[in-house]
Amino acid sequence: MAEAIIDQAATPVADEHHEGHYTSLGLSNMKLAMWLFLGSEVLLFGALISTYLLSKTRFLTELVAGNPEVVAGISNDENAELVNEMITKGSVEPLFDIPFTSLSSFILLMSSLTMVLAHKSVTEGNYKNLRIWLSTTMLLGATFMAGQVYEFTTFYREGLTYDGSLLGTAFYTLTGFHGAHVTGGLIMLGSLIYLSFKGRMQKDRAETVELVGLYWHFVDIVWVLIFTIVYLIH
Amino acid sequence: MSTESMAVGDHSTTHDDDHEHHPTAKTYWLTFLALVILTALEVAWSYLGLSGVALVLPLLIMMVIKFAIVAGVFMHLYTDLNILNGHWFTVAFGIAIGLAVSVYVVVFAAFQFNI
Repeated sequence: MAEAIIDQAATPVADEHHEGHYTSLGLSNMKLAMWLFLGSEVLLFGALISTYLLSKTRFLTELVAGNPEVVAGISNDENAELVNEMITKGSVEPLFDIPFTSLSSFILLMSSLTMVLAHKSVTEGNYKNLRIWLSTTMLLGATFMAGQVYEFTTFYREGLTYDGSLLGTAFYTLTGFHGAHVTGGLIMLGSLIYLSFKGRMQKDRAETVELVGLYWHFVDIVWVLIFTIVYLIH
Repeated sequence: MSTESMAVGDHSTTHDDDHEHHPTAKTYWLTFLALVILTALEVAWSYLGLSGVALVLPLLIMMVIKFAIVAGVFMHLYTDLNILNGHWFTVAFGIAIGLAVSVYVVVFAAFQFNI
């Protein structure tokens, strides 16, 4: 489906839409539409991040106060030491593996660089480099997703389940929505690579690559926020 | 002068003009380097054992800088805003963003957070 959408965007409607597409704003309507879409995404992630912060505060307050329901919600047979550390510190920091998440952040930042280099390649008519950079971006994005799956599995083993606590629900919803967006981006990247191999992603279609790039960089920006607010400010 | 070209006015541009204003590959690599350094600083700061404002404020400042760098350079917002500079749309958009952020901060300030 994503491929069909991108293909449609890449299909010339009329010659005047190829190049020299004049708009009264100075920017193409497609790009403005993408920015409006990303604006609506800001509202979504703003709400999810706010909900996480409020849920974490409420969870920690009740955990430290010794609310038996909250303690039971995060406890299992193997994590008594971890839960005690969280109660003592009044923080969720013992849950997180910051070096691992830092590496994930580095990988996603790297994918933003390769994405923008892919766009540069198509504007220069270098289609071999376009495919190399798009494939690298896809590989880095897939590596990030693999890391998220590993992280979720670890957290689950440590007692942080989706429905066991307010913290788990808010955390998995926020990071899960981000992961879903990364997955969507991977599908778009795959479609671009396919179209490029078919010879349907030429220099005059550079804006299509730029639009997918805008989406990909936005996903990166959201992770910049999540990494700091969720992982580092624990 | 046709009606269409009059309507376009001084703000008109094309996709090709747009791409010509985009940064060079060297700028992109330097931007990435800056992002990596800022991320390393963030992580190092979180390991200093600080709490409260001393922990949060520098982290938030570095986060906002990273946000601005990605949006400005990788998403071409700096160059695109130069094209839109002085346009009524930019002014209206700026006012709307300012209002939205103000409302968000005011509502958020009503809550207490465990940091």
